[in-house]
Amino acid sequence: MADTQDTIPVTPLFDRPRALRGYKMNKMANGLGNPANREAFVADEAAYIDRYGLSDEEKTAVMQRDWHEMVRLGGNLFFILKITAVDFIPITQVGAAQASMDHDDFLRDRLGKNI
Amino acid sequence: MAKLIGGVGTSHVPSIGAAMDRGATQDKDWKPFFDGYIPAKKWMADKNPDIAVVIFNDHGNSFFLDRVPTFAVGVAENYKPVDEGWGPRNLPDFKGDADFSWYFVDKLVENHFDPLVCSEIEVDHGLQVPMELLFGHPDNWPVKVLPIWVNTVQYPIPTPQRCWDMGVLLRKVIESYPSDETVVVMGTGGLSHQLQGSRAGYINRKADLAYLDGIAADPEKYRNMSREDYVETFGSEGAELIMWLVMRGCMDKDVKLIHKHYHAPASMTGAGMVILENKD
Repeated sequence: MADTQDTIPVTPLFDRPRALRGYKMNKMANGLGNPANREAFVADEAAYIDRYGLSDEEKTAVMQRDWHEMVRLGGNLFFILKITAVDFIPITQVGAAQASMDHDDFLRDRLGKNI
Repeated sequence: MAKLIGGVGTSHVPSIGAAMDRGATQDKDWKPFFDGYIPAKKWMADKNPDIAVVIFNDHGNSFFLDRVPTFAVGVAENYKPVDEGWGPRNLPDFKGDADFSWYFVDKLVENHFDPLVCSEIEVDHGLQVPMELLFGHPDNWPVKVLPIWVNTVQYPIPTPQRCWDMGVLLRKVIESYPSDETVVVMGTGGLSHQLQGSRAGYINRKADLAYLDGIAADPEKYRNMSREDYVETFGSEGAELIMWLVMRGCMDKDVKLIHKHYHAPASMTGAGMVILENKD
């Protein structure tokens, strides 16, 4: 994988290497915008993922809902977030996972919510 | 000729639409956010423009990574709200203005902007949410829309300076369009937020508040920032703020800041708006 253009620490820019690396995963997840695909995903998640030719590493990250790992493998939140249209978890939970923080800590310390 | 009646900058966070859909606008978390839009809605109702130019980015709903236009312009007579995966929203279709859109496209290309031209395309929350925030939920939208999509997702994204220049041209297009219609220009996105990486959840309240004043009084500062500056200051997705520059480039150097509002966090985002009018 070519070097990315990251110049800001802990900020993965969605540049050429990441867009290439994550293409299949993002395509699989973005497909969940379609109701028929959501049904297929719910019915047999592994089979749905296999349609898109994900590697074992990518497939495992998706099936374990390891958001941090998905982004490391080139997932982009705008696309992989559609997995939460099946799971119905809030985006703040995905954010907390990115930041490796407990959800309440994330809401309080990162977002500045009074909880 | 058509007349520019003002510029709006506003967030387009999808959770705002979701909050409206589930009737949560008066909940503790959301009321302060929505209250700040009441004067803005009143301003818009008083101005009653005929056309809204809405500058926004798609989020994997109308474009995937198979084709990523740096700039795209809608020339349709009708735009359906897209179902992003959470189910269809109860919103009327958006009426386009093909004549004005094609006129804009002609002028863009004549002036060496080369957009993707879209005759059949749906619009996601990037356009939906600003329209709801400024026009409410009428049976039919009281304005026609001209959608402009800007790629802010996959690098390279356009420079802030290029966005500004498109705004400068948009002003000339509006004021040379043979019509007596009135036009509002809405730059959307932001403010600070970051959804990915270990800096996820980053919000920069101080920079957001400075931006809301600065976009009115000192826009050169924001015009001259690099894309990297935007990402560093406002977060990876906060770089959407470059789209407000299309609106600002469209306005006079000296403007009146009619209204501003800020609330954080809206979901994971510093959210807010400005209304600008030219001094005359």
